[in-house]
Amino acid sequence: MFHQTKLKTFVLLAILVGLIIYTMNGSYFGRELVVEVAILAILAISVDMVSGYGGMVSLCHGAIFGLGAYAYAAVNVLMGGPPALAVVAAIVAAFTFGFAVGAVTSRTRGIFFIMATLAFGQMIYVMIFDSKSLGGDDGMWGLTRLDLSAIGVNLESGVQFAIFSVLCIGLTYVVAALILRSAFGRTFSGIHENEDRMRALGTPVWKFKALAFGLSGSLAGIAGALAAQHTMFVSPELVIWTFSGEVLIVVILGGLGTLVGPVLGAVVMVFLKHEISNITTYWHMIIGILLIITVMAGGRGIYGGLEQYLARRAAKAAPASGAKTDA
Amino acid sequence: MLKVANLCKSFGSLVVTDDVSLHLEKGERRVVLGPNGAGKTTLFNLLAGEIAPSSGDVFIDGKSITSLPVEARAHIGLSRSYQKNNLFEGLTIGENLSLAAAVAMGLSGSLLRDTHNDPELRKVVTDVAAQVGLKDMLEMQVANVSYGNRRQLEVGLALANGPKVLLMDEPTSGVGPSMISAFHGLLKTLPRELTVLIIEHDMDLAFDVADSITVLNYGKVVFEGTPDETRASSLVSEIYLGDWDDDA
Repeated sequence: MFHQTKLKTFVLLAILVGLIIYTMNGSYFGRELVVEVAILAILAISVDMVSGYGGMVSLCHGAIFGLGAYAYAAVNVLMGGPPALAVVAAIVAAFTFGFAVGAVTSRTRGIFFIMATLAFGQMIYVMIFDSKSLGGDDGMWGLTRLDLSAIGVNLESGVQFAIFSVLCIGLTYVVAALILRSAFGRTFSGIHENEDRMRALGTPVWKFKALAFGLSGSLAGIAGALAAQHTMFVSPELVIWTFSGEVLIVVILGGLGTLVGPVLGAVVMVFLKHEISNITTYWHMIIGILLIITVMAGGRGIYGGLEQYLARRAAKAAPASGAKTDA
Repeated sequence: MLKVANLCKSFGSLVVTDDVSLHLEKGERRVVLGPNGAGKTTLFNLLAGEIAPSSGDVFIDGKSITSLPVEARAHIGLSRSYQKNNLFEGLTIGENLSLAAAVAMGLSGSLLRDTHNDPELRKVVTDVAAQVGLKDMLEMQVANVSYGNRRQLEVGLALANGPKVLLMDEPTSGVGPSMISAFHGLLKTLPRELTVLIIEHDMDLAFDVADSITVLNYGKVVFEGTPDETRASSLVSEIYLGDWDDDA
């Protein structure tokens, strides 16, 4: 069950502030990394919401993300709509698809659920790849970014776009946290803990799973809209299922079911990948080894490990200080 | 309040519920007795909707609920506790009760209210916790509390769910005498309009709290009467204690 602890707030703010400082002082390439972190982090938050808190391990969030990007492009390029409308379209399309996947798969569990999400994701991929109007394997280009000149922000500027992306992480986190701490979110966690009892208490389980998957999907749609604006170009590569796997790795690396852990995981993944690929082309192997170590160490992830370490230290310190007052 | 009409359930050729009919008035306390394998828990599963009957009907307030799924029956006010603890192990006792109370109060789907800090809901949670003797343990993780406390929470979940008809499946199974007597006390504090159906092995408890007693054997209702009639019945003692004539 979700609790917004002080440690979570601290880690989240530290990451956001760190990324903004890095953006201001970084090079063009550094800003690219920051936007990459932001997209991955938002997607990881949306996956953690359903996988970490609801046990719905998804292999279609990459596709939902791609669907969001394509919805953005379709409204923006094909229909000539303004970017603001395109963002709404991305969120609505991602929500609708997520809700449908959640509703259809609500009775399946475990491996069958995972495979079903993979199949749904592949459906989107094939549809996009085969669709002439969406550009087929060429994709679509000529996308424009949101116009925020009304509040003095110019997203055409690399620095401002990177900072905007970082703020989107914060926004997504707050939305996910509010959902998880609402009565709805708590019931959703209850379903994860004991689905049969939750049903026996009078909960229509499928509705909760479908809505949670839809809401999580809409967050993935935000990531998609951000990615579309970043490259100003969409291609079927955005929808490839292995991206869903990469996001799951980020979530597990950072800490499944911690919400802030996935953000941390995204930072680690992107910067580590960048650093290691300077040294060797086998960076996948290093990430793989890191993942195995994380899982073998109890599966708490980086954030979970940090939380445990601090809790142990506090527990050690407590009796020690108690002894002092006794003496 | 609760009416069961000619309920049957068979698994293949094995008949586990054989033409069971019951009628409970509003506020009635009925104890179901019967030896192991008599079909008591199966009867509860049929009433709660966890399995579908082969034939027969279940009514609440005169309305048939036979075709309703589990969650819809719970919404009408049919709440149950389980013989084997069926809790939210990873959560605290308070969180467990909050989940049940939120459903009963129609809040569980709200995206805006944080039920954890909702004063109205917290009151229900603390009241129920006090009722089942878990008042000071709200922050404890279920996985870390004793078996006896879990039995208390099992009943607590059913109570927090806002029942009109409460089904309790051996609430005192596996607990010590002190907790059994505490449970006697709890039953007497329940609102008088609440209809209660209890499966129980403890005869003393059964005779003490019941308005009426139903005895099941081989899936059939073999006896129905007041506690006094049950105590005097040779049939019931035969089922429970065996037929001693052969040994004489």
